[in-house]
Amino acid sequence: MNDPLAQLAAEAVADPDLTYFAFAAGARSGPRVPPLMPTSAALPEVLCGRYRIERLLGVGGMGAVYQACDLLREQFGDPQPYVALKTLGEDFAEYPDASALLYSEFALTSRLRHANVVQLHAFDIDPLSQRAFITLELLSGCTLDRFIDEHPAGAPWGDAREIGLALLEALAHAHAAGVLHGDLKPSNVMVGDQGLRLFDFGLGQAQENRLPGLPQLCRSRFAAWTLRYAAPELLDGEALSAAADIYALSCVLYELCTGRHPFRRLSGKQARAMQLQAEASVLAPPIARALQAGLAFDPARRASLEELLQAFRTAPQPSSRLMRWLGRWPA
Amino acid sequence: MSALAERLRSAARTDTGKVRARNEDAFLDLPERRLWVVADGMGGHERGALASRLIVDRLAGLPDERDLQVRVQGLRRCLHEINRRLHQQLTVTAERPDPVIGSTVVALLLEGARGACVWAGDSRCYLWRRGRLYQLSRDHSLEQQLLDRGELSPQQAARHPAAQALTRAIGVAEPLSLDILEFDIFPGDVFLLCSDGLYRELSVGALGAALSLPSPQLAIRRLFDEVLGGAARDNLSAVVVRP
Ligand SMILES: Nc1ncnc2c1ncn2[C@@H]1O[C@H](COP(=O)(O)OP(=O)(O)O)[C@@H](O)[C@H]1O
Ligand SMILES: [Mg+2]
Ligand SMILES: [Mg+2]
Repeated sequence: MNDPLAQLAAEAVADPDLTYFAFAAGARSGPRVPPLMPTSAALPEVLCGRYRIERLLGVGGMGAVYQACDLLREQFGDPQPYVALKTLGEDFAEYPDASALLYSEFALTSRLRHANVVQLHAFDIDPLSQRAFITLELLSGCTLDRFIDEHPAGAPWGDAREIGLALLEALAHAHAAGVLHGDLKPSNVMVGDQGLRLFDFGLGQAQENRLPGLPQLCRSRFAAWTLRYAAPELLDGEALSAAADIYALSCVLYELCTGRHPFRRLSGKQARAMQLQAEASVLAPPIARALQAGLAFDPARRASLEELLQAFRTAPQPSSRLMRWLGRWPA
Repeated sequence: MSALAERLRSAARTDTGKVRARNEDAFLDLPERRLWVVADGMGGHERGALASRLIVDRLAGLPDERDLQVRVQGLRRCLHEINRRLHQQLTVTAERPDPVIGSTVVALLLEGARGACVWAGDSRCYLWRRGRLYQLSRDHSLEQQLLDRGELSPQQAARHPAAQALTRAIGVAEPLSLDILEFDIFPGDVFLLCSDGLYRELSVGALGAALSLPSPQLAIRRLFDEVLGGAARDNLSAVVVRP
């Protein structure tokens, strides 16, 4: 029994009060559905007799997202009967409350209505396999990690500004609605014909006291992150906060504008220990100042979303390609 | 070439084998696109199967081009992207901060009288030409590395406790380096792509005998009959192509 996950699962089963161990104890919000049988069977080809899995679109560590054909829509002659379908990985299917984890992603995202936030269709459980899944709009285009990779010297300012503003506005909308994202990173953002979409609120959380009744992820019992984008205080075990989202988003925006990770791909904790500062000379000064403040290691001193938005709205366009190439910026 | 004739020029199959609980191999058999792939995933739970499936499904979505160089470039870019995705963009948990999720890949691309093989890991590409078997890919494994250094005999290298450890794969390290071999195709050539679960269970003679059969379908049946008639300790996959 040295697999920590197995241990946690056993503990959860042994102690009835801890059945929903991924959620804060006492958060009066244990899911009201009975715990589902943990499943480790392969994903069926058709879920709920309705969604036929067609191909794997992506994996992110927590789960997998497939393209599926909605057979009902197809039956009614819809020429675009395709949806994206997200399931949790088997690592998580072992948790007795894995479906609640996915439901929390559904509930949080459903509370948001913004052009730059992904639209979900439904949360469902396949009765035969007991697999929980979310159906959501199928996005075309590419994830931001690929876009960044295709611009190794940084995206042209016009593109960077458009993407940056859309992302900042999506996050500002979520925060205003009381929803924290918890895992901002390039592969959780899609850019394509439909515009920019922020998705994957799988580690999201309702801001304290903002959405009572929703299950609360308890990070001391279920800690997850993406190392290169997690704020240093999250890696220390602190609770998710708006400031942690701002740190992660600042990492993404810095990478977008320069083509490079601000701390040479080190984690926030390592960068803090080495007292690194993100190199700013390639950025327009107002953007540089805002991003450096967004990347402050001390969450209390971090820039606000409003400050970042202001910088992206007002930063001057470089006056010419040559100036940009020279890395010089109008004062 | 008619659509039927085109489809008949290749055949493919995968099997869990007799020991493993799940199949983490995946293949792509796209004769109309002149693209064939075998991937052998690794990682706990379903991670290995997800990695090999992601490779195969993403490669299937590449645009159809008529220029071999352009196609090879597109395929390489796609594999590099998956490598970065599985390596540095992964959400991890405190309980499992460094999960293994990766896959080997071997891809065969044909265009007119030219072909290319691209690979990482120990899945192989063989060529059957004029009654002889050639291994076109060279394994990225510790065993092969020991052999290349010339310090050990093939028997000694194979006995090394970590002989089968991979030195390269998609998703395990950055930067990824892919190997590529380009070649001319001769009339009568037959290609075999396969995972280690197939070739480790068969002698070179058995591989050649299967590839000398008159059709890819017969070759696949013979290869699988032989492995599944034995221990079949690993997942096995094979694609046979007669251009
Ligand atoms: N709606 C969608 N349409 C198309 N592809 C998607 C969609 N949602 C996710 N993906 C792809 O799947 C990957 C993983 O999805 P995500 O929701 O981030 O899962 P995880 O929680 O495992 O990180 C994404 O990075 C993207 O490549
Ligand atoms: Mg994700
Ligand atoms: Mg194998």
